[in-house]
Parts: sequence; structure tokens; C-alpha cells
Amino acid sequence: MSEVKDTPIESSPLPAPKPKRPLPLSRQMVNEQTAKCYAEAWAAKENGEPVGWSTAIFPQEVCEAFGVPVLYPENNAAAISAKHLGDPFIEHAEGAMGFPINICSYARLNMGMADVLDNPDYKADPAMPRPDFLLLANNSCTQLMKWYECLSEALNIPIFFVDCLFNYYEEEPAFYKVKYVRSQIENYIENMEKFLKRKLDWDKYLEVQKRSQINCQLFNEIVDLNRRTPAPMSGFDLFNYMSCLVLCRGKESTTEIFKQLKAEVEENIKNNTSTFPGEEKYRVHWEGIACWPNLGFNLKKLKEYNVNAVMNGYVTAWDVRYAPGDLDGMAKAYQTSSTNSLSTPTIMNKRVDSIKNFGCDGMLCHVNRSCKLMTFHIFVGREIVESNAHIPVANFDGDQSDTRIFSEAQFETRLQGLVEIMKEQKEGAV
Amino acid sequence: MNTLDMALQRLQEIAANPRKILDGYLAQGKKVVGCFPIYVPEELVHAAGMIPMGLWGGQVTPTIAAKYNPISTCSVMRSCLEFGITGKYRGISCAIMPMLCDTFRGMSAGWRAGVKDIQLAAFIHPQNRNDTYAQYFLTAEYRALAARVEKLTGEKVEDDKLSASIEVYNLHSKTMMNFTQVANDHLDVVNPIIRHAVMKSAVFMPKEEHTIAVQEIIGELNKLPKHDWKGKKVILSGITAEPNEFLRIFVENNIAVVGDDIAQESRQYRTLIPDGANPWERLSGQWMNRWGCSTVHEKQFSRGKMLVDMAKDSGASCVVICLMRFCDVEEYDSALIIKDVKEAGLYSLCLEIDQSTQNNEQSRTKLQSFAELE
Repeated sequence: MSEVKDTPIESSPLPAPKPKRPLPLSRQMVNEQTAKCYAEAWAAKENGEPVGWSTAIFPQEVCEAFGVPVLYPENNAAAISAKHLGDPFIEHAEGAMGFPINICSYARLNMGMADVLDNPDYKADPAMPRPDFLLLANNSCTQLMKWYECLSEALNIPIFFVDCLFNYYEEEPAFYKVKYVRSQIENYIENMEKFLKRKLDWDKYLEVQKRSQINCQLFNEIVDLNRRTPAPMSGFDLFNYMSCLVLCRGKESTTEIFKQLKAEVEENIKNNTSTFPGEEKYRVHWEGIACWPNLGFNLKKLKEYNVNAVMNGYVTAWDVRYAPGDLDGMAKAYQTSSTNSLSTPTIMNKRVDSIKNFGCDGMLCHVNRSCKLMTFHIFVGREIVESNAHIPVANFDGDQSDTRIFSEAQFETRLQGLVEIMKEQKEGAV
Repeated sequence: MNTLDMALQRLQEIAANPRKILDGYLAQGKKVVGCFPIYVPEELVHAAGMIPMGLWGGQVTPTIAAKYNPISTCSVMRSCLEFGITGKYRGISCAIMPMLCDTFRGMSAGWRAGVKDIQLAAFIHPQNRNDTYAQYFLTAEYRALAARVEKLTGEKVEDDKLSASIEVYNLHSKTMMNFTQVANDHLDVVNPIIRHAVMKSAVFMPKEEHTIAVQEIIGELNKLPKHDWKGKKVILSGITAEPNEFLRIFVENNIAVVGDDIAQESRQYRTLIPDGANPWERLSGQWMNRWGCSTVHEKQFSRGKMLVDMAKDSGASCVVICLMRFCDVEEYDSALIIKDVKEAGLYSLCLEIDQSTQNNEQSRTKLQSFAELE
């Protein structure tokens, strides 16, 4: 008691805030690239030139070759959610606009934003300018189609649509499916030429295709480096570089970023260091989109329990691979690259391979309230993973943007449970 | 009991007892193919000499389906999976599923994992119908679907049989749309529960048989004097508007249904199969002409205006959205419909439909309030 009494208040100040670790150069380059994209879109808008909004896995090669700025609402919603700035837009969509709470939270956030674009008080971080056209590919989900229909209706702007179909069985897309998707890409080019009143530079188009392939290949190589034990990266780092593939898959600046990132990861391997902030006792495969508003908490808990989510399937969705100049190949790639364009057995068997390749001890699945199809994959795919990869699987509830779904306590409890089983399995294996 | 009452009672019994109907077909040695909602080309099944039966779930609290279905799964699909796993659909030769929404994308795997005795024949509609190859794609997809069904059932589709089936289906569609018109002159007889039974019985019966039954009802109704309905009139929109306990609230509050955009009901019938020489192209042509539906992409949203026009044409003062719980495509449309309906000076009500835990008290309160409006 006397010790407390005698202790002067001045001598027990609050602990100094922990200094933030400086961002690695590759992350700084990502931030600069993203800022440049938004700045170019705003500049085009101010000059009266068209700006597009696009779904995340659309044939970006065309607008990149046209030099037309395009922004990506899904990526924008993720960025806003990670900064905890999404709630006002979501509330506006549910309240004034009347959209039900059960639809995708990216859609609610973005439609809420779209409704206030002309409001003089409109601000967001990052803020997107009013679009003049929409680019829609439904390879990620069907809700994208409904979301973009609503945007088109509200903003009175056209949609350029590439219907990518869904591979409900495990076989390769039949020729008539590829033909339909190819036809749409060809018609999209023709219609975009009419819309912009200028012709596509086909040489540049080919160059963008080549650049896109280089970038996809480089990213794959970087992801593969995390197969090493212990991993040179925290698996969550991969989320930070996805924007390069979404926003700038066909740009040379992405190549530079990936080269820098690869050098940083290789340096970690050389020095036996890692960006994972804890001791990597367990390696897990993360399934699903990040809980953007809770990313920090998730990482903190993973660190606390010495679990590195070394790999996640979501980041491979932009692995749109084809031979440059092969339009059938491009059509097929856009039909099959997204997690959600493939049947559950196809995608979950890919996860099984990945779990084995990355030496994962468990799988941690985000049952994302917004993403029905990914959640279906998790529910139906659990048996596939457990029986083919022989690792434990744990689910937790959350959402990519809606802050009302995730529970810190549930996440920790589920993680604890997974760790206990992984520990038992490891000890049993010794 | 007069002829009209007997005919209506028969369809009510069929609508309420699909398992009994299925057992009847099986006892006769007929093969039955389950057809998920909506826009399955049943004509293929009909042409192959089998019975297409709609799979629309039912009132049940799913337990075992939860293994493969997240809680946010559309209510009708959860009950379908529950029925599939628990043997309610036993005896069906295969089930055809269209990939119209994310739930279907997920359900295609859920069904295959959980229902081992009924094989799935999946297919997908093209949504970019403006594209040059959209109909080409769907025609090829329908042929692939027919091949899949043939592999599972052993029954083949011949072109001439398909042409004949198309005529059967077009006549049925015309008959159903005629019924909705004639019924509006006899709202004292055709209350919302009876109207629904006439509609729903169609999904369980061979269409030529149902056409005869409905034609008889129309004939009997036409013999009656037109009734001047004094209560409120509404248009229903949604996936389903059931069970009867839900529709009974309309009856109790003197609210008549004078038109519908219900997927289980009129939405299927308002677009005929176009004329043409090639039956496969005729069938795919029907999809190309469909409109005003949450599962069909259109350049401009037409459904709100369509519902407003339906209400105005039939003297309805309100559009009732029967919102299937967790049906995301309908949820997106609902906000746009309400806006269009309000702008047209009409009332709109949004009532929840949930096959797992249907509680009608909120709907009752809303409908009572609407009924009390001057």
C-alpha cells in the first residue's frame, strides 16, 4: 500500500506509443502506385475524359491499352474498410437506399458511396470519382451482376459485360463456352472503341498482355517463396500486394514492385529472417477474403499463438494466365482463374495441393457473411480438405467490410481450438 | 360440391401433396426428373417421355442440410437440400439445376456431397444476352444438358418430340396467363390461397393434364357472373408466396391478389417459346426473350415499371414483395422496385418468406395496416 501511496503520479506516465516499423520499400512503392492510379482518374475526370469502375477480375488489358483510367470498387471498399471508414456508406445503403443487410457489404459500401458522389461533402479515403462506364465480369460471383445493374441504374451509365459463366463440374470449359466468352471480349473491344470514339492500339494491347503475364508469373514466384520453413513472410503480407494485381496488373510499375518485393523476401531467406512478427510454430492455410476491418486484430492473435497464415487461396485469384495474343486462352483464363468460378471440388482440391506444398498444419477459414459462394466452398470443401490433406480445419464468422459480424472472442476461441489440435497432431507425429 | 369446387379442390390437394403425386408416378413406372427453380427447360424432360417435377422445398427446419449450407443460404434451397438428404425426393431419377445465382453455384456442390441417390444435371444460362454468341451458347448448353440427363436416365430427346413438347408448354403458358385474367373477375371464388394452388399444382403435374384442369376451371368461372370486388387489390412479386398460413392473412384482411410476378407462378409463363424450325433454338430463344426477373440481366431495370403497369392495369393499389430470406438477387431488386412503385404513387409492402422458420406476425401487422388504409 505504502509503495502505491508514495509513488508520485508524475513518475508513472503512459507508456510511449510503440514506434511504427518503417514500411519496406516495396510497400511504399505500392502506396505510390495506388495513389497515382486515383490521381490519374481524378485528373481525367477534371479534364472531361471518361473514367471506369470495374469488377476485380475483368479483362483489364483492353482499357489499359486504351489508356483509360479504371478504378475497382471491390479494392476501394477493402481499402476503406481496412481504415474503418466504411460504416457511413453501408448505413446509407441500408437506410436511405433501402438495400437489405444480407447483400454483399462491398456492394452496400460502394452503392452507398455512389449515391453521394455529387454531394459537396462527399469524401472517402481513397475517394473515387464518378464513373462514366462500368466493366462487369461475373467470374467472382453473381452478386456483382446485380450490384453493377444497380450502379448502372443509379448513375445512368453503360455496362460493358463479360459473362464468364461458372464451371459447375470439374471438367475443362467446353469449346462453345470459350467461344461465347471470347466473342464477348471481341465485342467489348468493338463497343469500347465506339464509346471512346477511337481505335484500340493492337500492338499496345499485346504489350499489356505480355506485361500482365510477367506480373502474374512474378507474383506466383513470390508466393512460392513462402513454402520455405520458417516462411520469410507473414502470409498476411500477401494481402498488401494484391492491389497491384487488381489495379495495375498490366503496368510496368507493378513489375518493379514485384521485383523489389522478391528481393526483400529473398533477403529474408538469406538472413533467415521473416516479416512474421512471432515465432512460427504452426503454419496454416487461410481461406477466404480478409476481414479487412479486423486485419490488425487477426494478425495480433495469430502472432500471439505463433501461427503464420503462410498461404491463402484468395490472392491466387488474379492468376489469369494465357499466352499473349491467344484470345481463346484469355477467354478461358478469365473463365477459370477466380476461386468462385470453379466448382467446390475443383477449388478445394487445389487448396489440398497448396496445403501440401506449403507444409500447412491446419486451415483457418473465414466464413464471410458477404461472400456466399466462398462460404459454400468452406462448408462443402471441409470434408475434401480433411480427408485429402489430413489437417484440422477451423471456421470463424466475419465479414469483409461489415463491422457487425466479426467477434474477437469467437476468433480467438476458434484459433485456440485449432492450435490445440495442431499441437496434438505435431506431438503425435513425433 | 359443384364442378368448379371439385376442380379447385383437386388442384389444392395436388399442390399440398407432391410426395403422394411422386409416388403415383413411380407406381405407374414413370421416370421423374426434379427441376430446381427456375427456368429449367422442362420441355427436354417432357420430350424424353419423363415427368418433370418442380423442387421448391417446403416448410421445414433444416438440420442436416446445415452441414453443407451456411446459415445465409436462400431459404428455399436449404429446404430442398434437407429434403434431398432426408429422402423426401427419393425415387427421382435425377435433378436439373440452373446456375442462376451464387446459392446455386454453391448448392451444385452441396447437393452432390449430400444427396448421393439423386444425381445432378447442372447447366447455366448466358447472362450477356446482347452478345452474338449468347443464344448459340445456350443452344449448345441445352444439348449438353439433354445428353447429361440421357446418361442419368437412359431417356433420349428426339427433335420431333421436342417440337411437340414445346407446343404443349406454350399452350399451358397461355392457359395460365388466361387464368390470371379470368380469376380477376371472380375474386370472391379465386382467393389468394386458391389462386396459389392453381399455380403451384402446375409444377407437379404433366403440363397437358394441368392445362385441361385449368381450362375446365376457366370454363366454369366464365359461367359465373362477374364479381365486383370491394376489398383491396395487390400484385405479388417474389420467388414464392406461401405457405397457406401466409396467404390466409390476405384472405382475412379482404385483400385480393390480382396479378403476380412470383417465380413459382406467373413469372414462368409470361414469355412464350418463340416460333421457329429448330426446337433447340426455339427453346434457347425463350430465355433470350425473358425480362423483368431478378435472375435475368437486362441493360435497364424493367421490373419496377413492369410491376407498376401490372398494378395499374388490374386496379391494384399495392405491390407486395414476398422477399425470400437470403435470396440476394431478389434483395437487390427489392430496393429498386420499392423506389419505382413509390414514385408511381402506389403502396409497397415487403414481407419476408422463410421456409425454415416462417413467422407471419410481422406480415400480419403490415397487411392489417395496409387493409385499414382509406
